[in-house]
Amino acid sequence: MGKQQRTASREARKAQAAIAAQRGRRINWVLAVGGLIIAGLVAAIGLVAFNAATDDEPTAGGGKLITPANLTAAGAIPVGAPAAPVTVEIVLDYMCPACGRFEQANGDELDRLVRAGTAKVELRPISFLDRTSQGARYSTRAANAMATVADRNPEKAWAFNSALYDNQPEEGTRGLSNQQIADLATQAGVSRDAVDAFHERVFEPWVAEVTQAAFDSGVEGTPRVRINGVVFQGDVFRAGPLTQAVEAAARSGT
Amino acid sequence: VTGLLSTMHRIRHANAWIFGTMLFSSVLSLIASFVLAVDAVKLAADPTAELSCDINEVISCGTVAAAWQSQLLGFPNAFLGLIAEPVVITIAVACLGGVRFPRWFMFAAQVVYTIGLGLAYWLFYQSMAHIGALCPWCLLVTVSTTLVFATLTHINIRDDNLFLPARLHDALAGALRANLDLIVVVIWLLTLTLAVVVKYGDLLFG
Repeated sequence: MGKQQRTASREARKAQAAIAAQRGRRINWVLAVGGLIIAGLVAAIGLVAFNAATDDEPTAGGGKLITPANLTAAGAIPVGAPAAPVTVEIVLDYMCPACGRFEQANGDELDRLVRAGTAKVELRPISFLDRTSQGARYSTRAANAMATVADRNPEKAWAFNSALYDNQPEEGTRGLSNQQIADLATQAGVSRDAVDAFHERVFEPWVAEVTQAAFDSGVEGTPRVRINGVVFQGDVFRAGPLTQAVEAAARSGT
Repeated sequence: VTGLLSTMHRIRHANAWIFGTMLFSSVLSLIASFVLAVDAVKLAADPTAELSCDINEVISCGTVAAAWQSQLLGFPNAFLGLIAEPVVITIAVACLGGVRFPRWFMFAAQVVYTIGLGLAYWLFYQSMAHIGALCPWCLLVTVSTTLVFATLTHINIRDDNLFLPARLHDALAGALRANLDLIVVVIWLLTLTLAVVVKYGDLLFG
């Protein structure tokens, strides 16, 4: 190999090494940026998870079971005169389409019976359809609002119940927003003080307990209607049968 | 340290590691598909059946299984996993045993698996954006499908099975040697985790 050739090949090797070094630097740079992104993502995940874990404080009462005031002895939300001879107990979920149809068919009739002093209504809002509101827990939020009204402004519970049904969201959607629920309550005449307390979510544990208790006691779906403690087996989606059953119970005095 | 790094580098690019990861991930996928298929049959027999992973309103296989997206082709999607994953397991085991498949075979495997990956991510997106519930077994499928795809792509680029133009192939092979694929996969999986935590964190940790 001549001297010239040797020099040339040394030059070529040098050039190659320079290219390799440059590529190495570029790759190290990319690796460093990648490492930074990974560290950032890990930090963000940790931060969000930590926030989520500690963010539960706003449930005033810190997840403790607080029962609304003004409930019946059996723990339901009462509507109407306590002395009325017939008790109509309704286990319901504000997300449940069947409950909406029940209310459409019988809401006015129940209202009339309550006003006439023939019947009193006991509401048990449950939250088993939470899973159908895309993680927005509409059933729990609506039931908590209802419990808050029962607690602070009980004479508006019945009007608020109707308002929630008149504006019932479709099952499978995120449901009404907290603001929409609050607006409905205000329109239904619920006091400012009660509406402002919705966001405290004080009664969510109570709703969860009512739900559990309902299923433990054999409720299989909503609406589940009992007249003086006896499960009503008639057609609940048509006005008439329920009214007749209530009036019959009033006459027989059972 | 340099010695350790270069040892790790050598292991990561060895057939045993790559096909081992592929085998492990595809077995996980198969297990998850099997559980989901059994759940789908259970739910078909009794739509109110409580599934083991119905933990709360967000972590709920039942909610996801009941959505139309879970029977995209008219039967439970999990059946596709039962069909496809054993093939991947076979490929991984054969390659661990030293078999070399023809180029067209590996290329076809890449194409079919890419379609499967697309389906897995479409489902992930649907469960995040529209169904509003997560099922742990589906998430396991998302992650393990990603890992199988990453290893299969790694092999196919390394062995030039993808009929890519020479310059593109050289660039991708260079990126593999620099472990950029590892970085991309880690970033990708962390991004998914972040998305899940941001959307459902208050219910997962609350």
